[in-house]
Amino acid sequence: MQTSREDVGIAIRSAFLRKGTQQRFSLFALIVFSIILIYFETIETKPLNYVRYFVKDSIYRGSVIVSSPAKGFNLVIRSIQDHLNVKDQNEKLKRENAKLKEKIFDPGFLILENTQLRKLLDEQVTASGKLISARVILDKQSPYLNSFILNSGSNRKIKNSMEVLDGINFIGRIVDVNFFSSRVLLVTDLNSKIPVLIEPLGYHAIMSGRGENEPILEYLPEKNKVIAGNKVYTSGKEGIFDPGIPIGVVKINEGKILVSLYSDVSQIMFVNINLGGND
Amino acid sequence: MSYSIKDIKLKILNSIPLLLLIFISLNGNSIINFKFFTINLHYILIYYWVLRRPQALGYGFIFLSGIITDVIFGLPIGVNALTLLVIASVAAYVRVVTVRISLFYDWMTFIPALLFANFIYFIVLYFSEYSVDYLYLFTNSIFTFIFYPALWLIFGLLINISKQGTHV
Repeated sequence: MQTSREDVGIAIRSAFLRKGTQQRFSLFALIVFSIILIYFETIETKPLNYVRYFVKDSIYRGSVIVSSPAKGFNLVIRSIQDHLNVKDQNEKLKRENAKLKEKIFDPGFLILENTQLRKLLDEQVTASGKLISARVILDKQSPYLNSFILNSGSNRKIKNSMEVLDGINFIGRIVDVNFFSSRVLLVTDLNSKIPVLIEPLGYHAIMSGRGENEPILEYLPEKNKVIAGNKVYTSGKEGIFDPGIPIGVVKINEGKILVSLYSDVSQIMFVNINLGGND
Repeated sequence: MSYSIKDIKLKILNSIPLLLLIFISLNGNSIINFKFFTINLHYILIYYWVLRRPQALGYGFIFLSGIITDVIFGLPIGVNALTLLVIASVAAYVRVVTVRISLFYDWMTFIPALLFANFIYFIVLYFSEYSVDYLYLFTNSIFTFIFYPALWLIFGLLINISKQGTHV
């Protein structure tokens, strides 16, 4: 029994502490170093932040270079698919065009909707002059974090928690800023919780990401009358985001109240960032 | 100190695991998404090569690859590095205590490696206040385990080719 225990001890020592063939570090040393790094992630100091920014910026640039052939290949595939789908797209566009024409002839509906919305928010929709544009350089959808990387960071005065828009639609917020890059946490991510307003009834709710394309609406009043097609806007309740930014429309699926986003987050190449979001 | 074409070919063959490791980290492909399931290529790659040919993958490079993956995926720096080193540790231990090479034994010992790695992953992300889809983590582990033999055969082929190159 004693010998068997000794054998296990020797095997563990041999595997963890010895450097082995052509190894410069022992596993034990690297594991300890990893734990120290994880601990350092909880410390916020300027010198440490500068090191983090530098490391992250360098890795992002490296990743852009490495993934560019694959990106190019995907673009070619997509353009071939687009060519093959021209007929279907044409028919779809004709149908959409006919629907839009019908709506244009009924401006009263739009005016009424606008008045109702402004009354609900009691504020003007602002921010048009504070937007800057940035390019999405990496959109590696991590299984644990739905996010992408932008080519602008603190060099363009981007700060954490600023709202990120696709055109005029809300798609997420800034969660990590480096010198020349920043990370956007999309509304579809599990960690995303956005206070929203549902029009036309004026319900307040929290839109939570599910890791899938359609976030869910939580904390609605118990006997709410939310129906499919109701519009979802940022409420600005926490004072972090501007109120009245369009997000999507309500979709009810198997009793769950979901939000079908106006923007397809997998197809975004450029975004707008509202620099006034954190003032 | 001149290299023949054969030496260069052999060097390239021997560096394939390392190149693959760095490539999948930088390209963000450590987890391959298929339509209904996902596989963690990183885990299989590290477990196989540390177990079968440790000189092909330095522990330092495994650590570096983990750091790159953390940055690309937006996780706290060190989480993936620690997880990958745990996988490498189990592989190193299994290598020390085994003599014969068999797919079945490698495959079965991959289970504790996955369990330890996912446990570490879960603990660190839990304390870092990251929400994790547990079902996703579970199915990913199951399919990573299921696909191990397929990659075992492919990597085995690579080892055979490089062995033939050495003997010629």
